[in-house]
Amino acid sequence: MIIDLEDIAYAYPQATKPALRGITLSVPEGQFLAVVGGNRAGKSTLCYVLSGFIPHHFKGTYRGKIEVAGMDLTQSSLGEIAGKVGLVFSNPFNQISGARFTVEEEVAFGLENLGVPREEMHERVHRALETTGLAEVAGRSPYALSGGQQQRLALASMLVMEPQLLVLDEPTSQLDPAGKIEVFEVLNRLADEKVMTVVIVEHELEWIGDFADRVIVMHEGRIVNDGDPREVLVDEALVAMGVGNTAYTSVAREAREQGLVNNDGLLPVTLDQAVDFFSGT
Amino acid sequence: MTSATLYIDRDAGLQRLHPLTKLVISLFLIVLALVIPNMWAGYIVFLLGVVPLALWGGILQPLWSALWKIVLPFAISMFVIQGLFWTGGTPVVELGPLSFKAEGLVFATTITGRLLAIMGSFLLLSLGTPPDDLMISLEERGVPNSVTYIVLSTMQLVPGLQVRAGKIRDAQRARGLETEGSILQRMRSMMPLVEPLVLGSIIDVDERAIALEARGFSREASKSFYRPVPDRRWEQILRWMLFIASILLIVLRIFWPLINRYYLGAG
Repeated sequence: MIIDLEDIAYAYPQATKPALRGITLSVPEGQFLAVVGGNRAGKSTLCYVLSGFIPHHFKGTYRGKIEVAGMDLTQSSLGEIAGKVGLVFSNPFNQISGARFTVEEEVAFGLENLGVPREEMHERVHRALETTGLAEVAGRSPYALSGGQQQRLALASMLVMEPQLLVLDEPTSQLDPAGKIEVFEVLNRLADEKVMTVVIVEHELEWIGDFADRVIVMHEGRIVNDGDPREVLVDEALVAMGVGNTAYTSVAREAREQGLVNNDGLLPVTLDQAVDFFSGT
Repeated sequence: MTSATLYIDRDAGLQRLHPLTKLVISLFLIVLALVIPNMWAGYIVFLLGVVPLALWGGILQPLWSALWKIVLPFAISMFVIQGLFWTGGTPVVELGPLSFKAEGLVFATTITGRLLAIMGSFLLLSLGTPPDDLMISLEERGVPNSVTYIVLSTMQLVPGLQVRAGKIRDAQRARGLETEGSILQRMRSMMPLVEPLVLGSIIDVDERAIALEARGFSREASKSFYRPVPDRRWEQILRWMLFIASILLIVLRIFWPLINRYYLGAG
């Protein structure tokens, strides 16, 4: 297990209610795990727990066992965790270090801190730039990039460190449609290649249905559902939690309720599944 | 504009020097201007030190156009205030009830010359050195990355803040804020800008800190550097020589009155 959380509870300083209320979660190595949930469900807080920022950066009160990538995160420093666990969040602009003047050097910044030899750094930086499609802008200023490019830069900066676990907190939520597509292309590759374990908070349910191995549903600081995306994402209870269902799921459910289709199987999440669902009748 | 650096990228001798060499040269020139006890010291350092080096880097014109804007207003006020209000000096020019005193004019001349040399040296360093190279070479020699980070991130974040300030201002103008008119009116229109700009920036700081930590910023291990900053043996020797010379000059300046009195018998 690369992630082993046991009964994690956490409250931010000065918060009246806890953000997490007893999270237990085990994730095997190589899994691509999606996290869904409404506002204030505790998704970002879970990301901070997995990357050590709770309890090291955010104070407040916590309890429970946090074991990630073979480390007890509560006992390791952020410097030790860096490089083993990567974190990408939604605001692309704030993830640029500001300490380096070109895209290429920005990607290398994390490796410099890890003390990776220069030859190896060059190789790894170029690979990360290729993976994220940023090779053409390697010499530009990070601040001269579009939002989608900046977010791919944030991804490249983490990928280059080759973490065992990559945590992505709504990596596309602040991007325009073109930027979203660019970032998803990189994420698709991550899901296919399985070089590292990925935990991603994401709202694009259809995409999760296509790419995630497993999905957990969070609500009010708890994990309320956990399983195969095919089964979890068609749950009607997700609508009340603010997560919703995909259009395919809603249409199929409606059609079944009105007796338009005779299919007792699982409701579809994605387009392909919808085609199967309706042609199966 | 994406970063607020002053560096002028030319393929010239000055630019090819190691950043620390330029830093030490600038400091040496500043020490010279401050240490030599002569009213023309600053001008001589400027003409024989700053100007030739600026020519070597092909940056004399931008250096001068920035320099006179700093020095001229200062010089005018120095000459007027020190010249007119020097107490008990010898009058040289009389303008009705007012008179310029010789001692005041000498003092103003000295200070202006020093300012010329100091600002000139500082501009020489800023215009002739890529700031990231300078910071990397300082980090290589053990300066904490939190110090270099402040310098480098400020250079990149200031233009971003300007863009943001512009947007906030436009939004406020769209809602009726007067931003044109008298100086007083313009100053008043700055006030509503402060809060969204400052608060917004403070909120960003938390995320920035997280992003830096995720990349091992506070890791206590030996670092490596992606970009090589080439150094040469003769530059290292030159730096040490200038450094030692600076120290000697400062020591000499401090103890000069004593040496003068006891060894040269001038007292």
